[in-house]
Order: sequence, then C-alpha cells, then structure tokens
Amino acid sequence: MTAAAPGARARRSPLLPMLAVAVVAVLLYLPLMVWANYGPAARSLASGADLGCPTALACATQLRNPVLPSPGQLAGGFGALSLPPTSPLSAPYNAVVTGGETLLGLALAVVVGLGLAVLLVASRSFERSTLPWLVASQTVPIVAIAPMLAVLLGQYGVQGFLPKAIIAAFIAFFPIAVGMSRGLRSPDALQLDLMHTYSASAGQTFRLLRFPASLPYLFTALKVAATAALVGSIVAEISTISFSGLGKMLAENSRASDTIALWIIMVYGAVLGVALVGLIGLIERVATPWKART
Amino acid sequence: MTLLSASQPPLTAEPPAPPIVSVQNLQMVFQVPGGQTVALQDANLNIQKGEFISLIGPSGCGKTTLLRLLADLVQPTGGQILIGGQSPATARQNRQYGYVFQAPALMEWRSVLANVMLPLEVMNVPGDRRARAREMLNLVGLSKFERNYPWQLSGGMQQRVSIARALAFDPPLLFMDEPFGALDEITREHLNLELLRLWRETGKTVIFVTHSIPEAVFLSTRVVVMTARPGKIEGIVDVDLPQPRSDDTRESPRFFEIATEIRELLKKGHA
Amino acid sequence: MTVTARLDAPRRASPLGPLALAAGVAGLLSLCLLLARLPAAPSSGLPWLLGVLALLLVGAYGVRWIAGGEGRAAHVLPAAFTLLLGVLAAEALLRAYAVPPGLIPTPSLVLGSLWEARTVLLQDTLYTFGLEGLLGFLLGTVAGLLLALLVVRFRFLELGLLPYAALFSSIPIVALAPVIVKAVGLEWPSKTVVVAVTVLFPVVVGAVRGLQSALPMHLDLMHTYAASPAQTFREVRVPTALPFVFNALKVGSTLALISAIVAEFFGTDGHGLGFRIQIEVGRFNLSVVWAAIVLSSIVGIAFFGLINLLERRFVVTGRNA
Repeated sequence: MTAAAPGARARRSPLLPMLAVAVVAVLLYLPLMVWANYGPAARSLASGADLGCPTALACATQLRNPVLPSPGQLAGGFGALSLPPTSPLSAPYNAVVTGGETLLGLALAVVVGLGLAVLLVASRSFERSTLPWLVASQTVPIVAIAPMLAVLLGQYGVQGFLPKAIIAAFIAFFPIAVGMSRGLRSPDALQLDLMHTYSASAGQTFRLLRFPASLPYLFTALKVAATAALVGSIVAEISTISFSGLGKMLAENSRASDTIALWIIMVYGAVLGVALVGLIGLIERVATPWKART
Repeated sequence: MTLLSASQPPLTAEPPAPPIVSVQNLQMVFQVPGGQTVALQDANLNIQKGEFISLIGPSGCGKTTLLRLLADLVQPTGGQILIGGQSPATARQNRQYGYVFQAPALMEWRSVLANVMLPLEVMNVPGDRRARAREMLNLVGLSKFERNYPWQLSGGMQQRVSIARALAFDPPLLFMDEPFGALDEITREHLNLELLRLWRETGKTVIFVTHSIPEAVFLSTRVVVMTARPGKIEGIVDVDLPQPRSDDTRESPRFFEIATEIRELLKKGHA
Repeated sequence: MTVTARLDAPRRASPLGPLALAAGVAGLLSLCLLLARLPAAPSSGLPWLLGVLALLLVGAYGVRWIAGGEGRAAHVLPAAFTLLLGVLAAEALLRAYAVPPGLIPTPSLVLGSLWEARTVLLQDTLYTFGLEGLLGFLLGTVAGLLLALLVVRFRFLELGLLPYAALFSSIPIVALAPVIVKAVGLEWPSKTVVVAVTVLFPVVVGAVRGLQSALPMHLDLMHTYAASPAQTFREVRVPTALPFVFNALKVGSTLALISAIVAEFFGTDGHGLGFRIQIEVGRFNLSVVWAAIVLSSIVGIAFFGLINLLERRFVVTGRNA
C-alpha cells in the first residue's frame, strides 16, 4: 500500500468538464433566446410583416434582427462573414487589419516607453515629477481620448492606418513605461554591487544587468497593454471614416442593426485579442529563454 | 552504546505506567514519479509521560515524517500508533497535542495576542480566552508585544509566539518540528533554555525534531537517532545529564561524550 | 547608483531652487495673461515659444531641486508643480500659435466649459459612474466572488469554467458592448451589464487564485486543531485571499469606467460621459470633450483611491506600512 507524495494534485483533463459546461450553457441559452425574441417576433407578425413562419414561437429563431441569435443563425452568419477570407469585406481580413494597427502601435509604445523608462530610472527628480502622472493615467479612461485624437489627426491629414496605430500607441504607452521602469529598477542590490566591483560603467550596467532584468516586466506590461490598445484601435476606427478594420465593420453593422454580424465580429475580436496576447507570449519565450515557466 | 529504555520496571509491585506515545512497526512509503520512497521503515518507539524526546538525523531519515504521522497530518502505510491509548486521529479530535512548525506560521492579519487566541477560538475553549492567551505570552516573555503584528517581530520572537500558541489550550503533548532551525546560534541557545524552563513549569511531554546534535543533547531526556535510505531508527541514546540544565551543561565532559555517541551512531547509519 | 547621481542635482542649501520654481511659474503665468490681453493673435509664435521654453527650463530646475529632497514635500510637490508648469506652458503656446479651439482648446477654455456645462456634466457623471460604473462594478464583484466560491468548492467547475473565463476576458470591451446593447436596450442597464461582465472575470480569476493560495503550513495548523472546514475557510482561506481579491478589484475599478464609457459609444438614451464625448467630438466642441475627460479622469482616480483605502483597512501587509 502506498500513499501519494505530499503536495501532489491529481491531473484531470479539462476537456470533459469544459464540454459539459458548454452543453449546459447552450441548453440554458436556448430558452432564453426564444423568450427574448418572442416579443419582437410577435410584434412583427402583428404589424403584418411576412416573416416566412406561421407563429411568433417559430419565428423566434428566424428573425433577421433577433435580440439574441440562435446557434444556427450564428453558424450561418459565421460562414457568410468569414468567406472568402481574403475579401476586404470579410471579418478575418478586417481583424488582421486591426491587429496590424495594434501591433504597430505596440511597437511604437515600446520604443517610446523604453526611452521614458530609462529617463525615469536615470533621474530621480524626473521620476518624482512624472511617474505619479503615468501611474494615475492607468486609472483614467484614456480610451475617451481616442475619438478626439482620431478626429484631430484626421484634420492634420493623417489618415488611414497610421492614426489608429498612434492612438493604440498612446494607450499602450503608459502601462509599458511604468512596467519597464519598474523592471529596470528590479535588479537586486547585490547584483548592482557586483557590477560596481567590476567598475562597470553606467552603460554596461544598463546593457548587461538592467535591460535583461526588465524584459519580463516589459512582456507582462505588453500583455495588459495589448488588450487596451486593441480597444483603442477599434474605437479609433469607429470614430473616423475608416476603410477597413473590425471597428469599421462594427460601425456599419451597428447602424444597420445586423445583430448576427455584431456577434460574429465580437467572436473575431476575442480571437484577435487572444492571438495578440499569444503572439506576445511567443515573442516572450524567444526573448527571455531563461525565465521559469509555471 | 546505551540503549536503555527510560521505563525500567521498578522493583515494587506497581505496574509500569503505559507509554503516552506508542509506535509499533510503523511504515511510511510514498509514491513518487518513477517509483517509491521508503520514508520510514519498521519504527518502534515508546515514550513515557513527561519525557523530552529528540528525533535527530540527516535529511531523508524520516524524523519529520514520524512527527507528522503522530500528529495525524499524514496516514501511515503500515504499523500502529497509539497516543494516550487512542489513534492519532482521535487524539487530534481530542486536542491532545500542540504542533510547532519549522516556521512560525503566524497569521499576518492577526495581532500577536489574536494569534495566540486562535486555537482557543477554533476549539471553542470556555472561559476567558484573552486572559489565557496573555498568560501564555507572559510565559514566553512577550507580554509587551501583544498588540504588535507578526511582521514587527524578529524570527526568534515569532517562534516564541508560535510556542505560546501551541501551549494555549494546555495539551499534554508538544510536537515541535525543528522550531529553531532558521535562527542564529546565539538566539537558538537562548531559546533552548527557555524551552527547558517551559517544559519544567508545564510538565508536558515534548517530541522535538532537530538536526543539531548539541541541541538534541542539551534539551532531551532521550535522543532517538535516525538514519536515511530507508528512514529508520538506528538507536536511542539516554541522556543522563542532571536537571535543571544550564549553559554550563554544554561544556561538561559528559555532554561531549553523549554527543560523540550520537555522532557515531549517525555515522554508522550513513556508511 | 552612478547613473542617478549624474543627472540629479546635489542638494545645496541655496535659495536658487525655490526661486527658480517661483520664477518659472510666475513667468509662464504672466505670458498667459499677456497673450490674453493681446487684441489679436501674434504674428509670429516663435519668440513666444522660445520664451516658454526658457521659462520651462527655469521651472524644471526648480522642480529638480525640490525632487532632490527627502521629506514628504519632495515626494508630492514635484508632480504637482510639473502639472502646473505643463498646463501653463500649454496655455501660452496654444494662444501664441493661435491654435483654433475646435482643434485643441486651451486649458482655460476647458476649465470654462467645465464650469458652464457643470450641471449637464455632473448629470452625465452620475449616470455613467453611478448607475453604470459603480452598479456594474458591484454586480460583477458579487457575481465573481460567488462564482469563485463555487469553482473552489467543485473541482469540476474549476476545470470546466475557468478556461472559459480566460477566453471571455479577452473579448475587447468594444466588441462586447454592441452585442449587449443590442440585446438589452439603449438605456443604462445595458451598460451596467457590460461593466458587470467586464469586472466579473478579473474578480473570479483573482478570487480563485487567492482562495487557493493558502499556506500549507496554515492548513496543517488548522488540521491539528481539528478545525471544521468552515472554520478553516474563515480563519485561513479568506484572509489569505483578500490581497488577491483587492488587486482584482483595483483592475476592475479602472475597467468599470472604461467599459461604461466605451459601451455608451454604441447607443444611449442621451445621457452619459461617453455619449457626451461622442456627440461633442462630432460638433467640434472639443473644450466640452476635454472637460468630460477631465471629469472622468478625476472620477477614475477617486474610485481607484477608494479601493486602495479599503484595501489598507482590510488587508494587513507589514511591508507596505
């Protein structure tokens, strides 16, 4: 007779529970959907519209603009909006465009953020003057500036791809600067003493100690910034005349009240968000191979 | 090699007192990835009431496992344990022992006094709990710190609070798992004296795990020497140094002899 | 720290520092007043630019001097004065270059709009922050905590539900909002739902992590006391979880306001800060937009500060004292 080693936890696969939860969720959703759509369906029939179905109950899953779409409608809409994937009208194409804007914005934010972080670490007076505002800005709904900034940039002739990237950069900049400055300041006192015993110059200490130590912090901040920046890109797309992007699709379909399209775009937005964070995670693995993975 | 058991039957007709802790053929085998680890093999031990027993040995010898088995923190894979004639589980339900861990394990969100009161609250001990907790803090010499929080105390002080907490509900047994291991030598020797004083004043039975030979000799009435791979009891050494013990005891020739005896036993098992 | 030493001024007992600060502030203020008195926009902005830069440098010297100190003032004042100098400089430059207010309004115009439109803006703030943000935050927090309790209690739910939580939390708010607004309606409840959903996931994840991070030693201790599961939960698991929950609440507080405002972009019944921003941007009434943004910033910082205060009250962390 043996016992499990202390601290061991049984490893069960999450697939079956996830499937079970999904099934339960769908089962709960269906009556809710029918109940929600019943009202509008009844009203529509009462006003004499020909919906191609006899009763309000039957029409609950057939409305062109349901309150809550049925799984069948979602599947159909998914196909309609995803194919062909290379078409400028398809959701995947627009998702890639928005993703591109966000990534460019993140890259810009990293460059500027790194510069600012170096300044923050180099000068205590600079840190005391500006860091409080950088930190405070993270509790401020910066995304509220996005519409205005988009219009502003438009007035100055900056159109298309760039203003969205700039806005994404603006939003991402603050958490990245704060995170990087924390990272640059993270080395142990003992490690700094070590560099001192080597008579290392400030530049060497930065290159060999501070910068590598800051990378994990950078990536943590990037993942947080990515989701915020994505929201910023999409808001910017909505606020101006955009020719592509998920925001543009949202704006069109919101006005057209195409509920099903909105759900599909939401799914693509989620996929894009996951993809962005995943991409950052991949880059992180390559850039910081020494970090222990939990 | 002195393998005396402390319970030599007296020559009168009085029957010997039953041991307060009785361990028979105890075995603990762990399942680890890639096989099994025999943490404890065929351990036999009898402990009388009022003794101070040290368990000493290298890492992997099973001393902490043995203590945890006694405390019903883990179930044995073979053998039997009786604590006051009861199974460890029953003894635990009846709050027969206080446990002091390797780290103070105080709750950061409670004041020192509240920490000592914790077992009294959980066990629903009747009476004035505050007064009882204060009494315990006084016993370990930390009355002045009752309103402080753990982070404001040094490691040694925190461990003293931990001991006060273990004594709070007046259990007959005290299980201590390398309580002074993280402290410096000077603090440790001081706390050893304190612990002996507490033992004398409260008359409890103490089972103490350590990897320090001087500590084991200084504190105990008997020392259980254990060796690793597989974990087992190599021998039991009687410590016949006079009580009460003081710093002078550490420098006596007999102290050195007993320590050497223990060291030899450890080496023998290590070979 | 050789790098720091080089760029910071060693602190001397000279009056030069505070003098420079006063000079910078006063100088910039006078520039602003001068520009305000001019009958028409100046022909060339360059001399003013140089003047502003010079005064900024003087003021920066003063700030650097204050920041070199060690007391309470040295921690708080530099940021305050930086803001003051920045605002004054912006005012002066915008006036000097005669930037149209429809493009970038001057700080004085913004303050003016803030005062003029105060009733409307306060109403909007009550709407967005009170009804949508705060209410949604509370709903999301309560639901999140309940869900976390269930997840910790039933391993099945932990395996089956948490991955979905991670998935759902990556839906950008701006994609979630139109769906919910369409489903629930144009009035404030739809935004409350958006906020609740956005706050729900960080709270669940944080609470679950916190409840599962009880120290084994503490759990062992309770075991030696033959404590009941309820007692162990109350005495060990909950206090250990609190720091994690408060961290999640801090994240949630920022998300709440952002979600409410963004959700309003997708349909309101004519109230709310997000609505106001959208409408006034369209009308190029940018000073009102900025006023709304200033107001939402203040509210955001205050909300975050409130959670911080609550955390200090309920969580004992010696290191940060």
